Amino acid sequence: MKHRGRGISAIEYPTGMNQNGDPSQVWIKLKPDGRVDVFSGTSDIGNGSKTIQTQIVAETLGVPYDWITYDNSNTDSSPLDTGTFASRATFVAGNAVLKAAKAAREKVLEIASKELEIDASDLDVVDGEVVAKGAPSKSISVPDVAVAATWTYGELLTGVGAHLNPFATITDPETGEVDLPPHAAISYASCAAEVEVDDETGEVRVERLWQCFDVGRAINPLLVEGQIEGGAMMGLGLAVLEECYPYYPGVDHRGPEFGAYLAPGIKGMPKVDTLIIENPSAGGPYGAKGISEMANNPQPPAIAAAVYDAVGVWITQLPITPERILRALERKERGEGEPRREGKLVSFDEELSVNTVAAEGSVFQYSLPT
Amino acid sequence: MKVVGARLPRYDGIGHVTGRTRYVDDVRVPGMLWAKALRSPVDHAGIRVDTSAAARIRGVHAVVTHEDVPRNVYGHLEALGIPGDEPLFAEDVVRYKGQPIALVAAEDEDLAAEAVEAIRVDYDERPALFDIRKAADTDAPKVHHWGNWYPHFEGEMDRRQIRKGDVDRAFDQADVIVSGVYRPAAIEHCPIEPQTGLAVPEPDGRLTIYSVTQALYFSMGVVAAHLEWPLNKLKFVGGTVGGGFGGKVDTAADTPAALAALKSGRPVKWRWTREEELLCSSTRAPWHMEIADAVTSDGWILGRRMLTLHDSGAYARFSPYGLTKHSFHHTGAYTIPNLHFDGYVVFTNRVPTTAMRGFGVTGLSFATELHVSRIANVLGIDPFELRLKNANRIGDTSPNRIALPDPSTVPTILDIADALGHELPAEYRTMTRDRRDGELLPEHLVAQLASTEEAH
Repeated sequence: MKHRGRGISAIEYPTGMNQNGDPSQVWIKLKPDGRVDVFSGTSDIGNGSKTIQTQIVAETLGVPYDWITYDNSNTDSSPLDTGTFASRATFVAGNAVLKAAKAAREKVLEIASKELEIDASDLDVVDGEVVAKGAPSKSISVPDVAVAATWTYGELLTGVGAHLNPFATITDPETGEVDLPPHAAISYASCAAEVEVDDETGEVRVERLWQCFDVGRAINPLLVEGQIEGGAMMGLGLAVLEECYPYYPGVDHRGPEFGAYLAPGIKGMPKVDTLIIENPSAGGPYGAKGISEMANNPQPPAIAAAVYDAVGVWITQLPITPERILRALERKERGEGEPRREGKLVSFDEELSVNTVAAEGSVFQYSLPT
Repeated sequence: MKVVGARLPRYDGIGHVTGRTRYVDDVRVPGMLWAKALRSPVDHAGIRVDTSAAARIRGVHAVVTHEDVPRNVYGHLEALGIPGDEPLFAEDVVRYKGQPIALVAAEDEDLAAEAVEAIRVDYDERPALFDIRKAADTDAPKVHHWGNWYPHFEGEMDRRQIRKGDVDRAFDQADVIVSGVYRPAAIEHCPIEPQTGLAVPEPDGRLTIYSVTQALYFSMGVVAAHLEWPLNKLKFVGGTVGGGFGGKVDTAADTPAALAALKSGRPVKWRWTREEELLCSSTRAPWHMEIADAVTSDGWILGRRMLTLHDSGAYARFSPYGLTKHSFHHTGAYTIPNLHFDGYVVFTNRVPTTAMRGFGVTGLSFATELHVSRIANVLGIDPFELRLKNANRIGDTSPNRIALPDPSTVPTILDIADALGHELPAEYRTMTRDRRDGELLPEHLVAQLASTEEAH
């Protein structure tokens, strides 16, 4: 018989390396026709950082997106970026890009100011044109500024930028207290899952997911939705399919091909409703936060709670395989699997605990007051 | 013009979906050799290696072992005070099945594989440890001669601790204590592009390395450290990666390919097979988490005791960093004022585990959130209401005592309740992220909130 259930979760996740201290550096130059070259060290691992960082340059410098060439191809031309991990490419590297684009904009305004004989503070760059604020007829195109810089003034239009959130030191190793915020920002998300569980086969089908993410600011809503929905697919794999060691902690039967390691396919993707909240971060470019990693975090607990709602068993070892469901249902039928209740203690899963598995005298003993 | 906020297509998307993007394995260089690795077929053994027969095979241009590495043991996070413990090539011990012992560079992959077969290794097998829960048993096999768990937190501590508030008092005051154990699985990153490296010796004495790394400068630093070279003798080419998810921070193929290129004087490409990617590349760690929460019958979480064992596999890699991050977030999106957390990075004779999407927190979110669902169930309270009640609010503090400036736990939960059409009482429906007040400022949170007021 098939049973339906729903479960929810609410999570948080940091942007940037834990304890910070992870710099990014960027430089930008303009060609003699005003087209823009961005040199960043950020690898694009499919996260979309080439697109996001190019958008930040276009917005900040004031030129069309398709004027910009983004080069992250090698370490001779691009300066240091700590790396594409820790949800840092939009926030930390994006801030370096933002600062470099601001510096390049200053240089453009400086040359334009000479050409227009208007103070730089009275100028703005809009869609590839430097215009006088309040007098848009007085203008010079960015290409003409680049020509003037190159051939009249003998200058290179360029800008450099770097960003570093200072390292947060653990000042007290006993308590874990730190002296500074140990993250660049924190993002938040909630999720609901609806599942159908077959109590004869043990199969769990995730029918639907609702997900709400605070992304700070969606630099590109299309890409951030892609991250959130792609993350849902990985979360689905974590919850019901994937495991390197089918008999963990044993290492037997580790599979050498995709036929033996089950990752989700597109046909298994449930209907996903994606809700985005934009609560701008204090320090991110245009208020952005990093959400790329956390996108696979909220589904497994929501799915496991939905399984309980459907068939009344808590599966606390992932993935939630048919075998685990059926064994738990058998135990439930035999009247086993209930938590131990003693005084005010309600103790689940004791068969899995170090207190049960480790030898007496192990330092890994876990003390539970009752 | 508004570019920020625009739904622009991916900068390089057309190239990816039409197969025209150039990945490392698409690069062909004249005179290029192909590499294959000899990997340990056993979980744990003393070894003696003789490569002489392999080196004599016609068409084999280099056989690289630990003897060819200027600095064989280098820790990826030495800059963060995590000492190196993993050899690039095994010396006299192998600690996991699949560990690299030697790399052969030859005219083609078949010949390289044949030469790998010709390397003689004596394996003196030792007992292997797989269950992290038994790692501290007196009769447990020893993964490292100095012990089975990482002893260098803040230089000298053998665990990561968090202590906050008065956890004993919280457990005394609790109406109910709910305890559970959570065990998410080891996960393979499954990038479409397996680990691949191509090292090309240049006429000026530099090495160009075509890399799948997620972090060009980081990986360049790793290669430079093993070779004991300055950075300007290396040029890393990459930046476009066929899926990483954390596994390509490992710099797995670059240094061995570089060493083989230097030894042979020829460009060398080492590309892992799908089988190697699935069996020998690092995984997301399996975690073991035990949580006991002290709760009141009306749904306040007063305190948490937690024990985490992190299965690091045979070597530390990034695991101590991951566990520290884990400890900083072990209350999830809630404010729990009294905490006692102990976490250990435990070694086993399996493939080392590494960073993966959500490092340190993905399994934690599973554990803490399922635990909160259980608490709601045990108390008979709506899981939305229990979450909203304990949600992070402005001015609440994190486990390491940092005031939270702008948490969105409440708005994201309310949006999900709306989407589901879940009815909530007015006091919950109108809740915001603002500082706690009135009934939402219970006695157990007063002291800690007051301390953040002062800081403002």
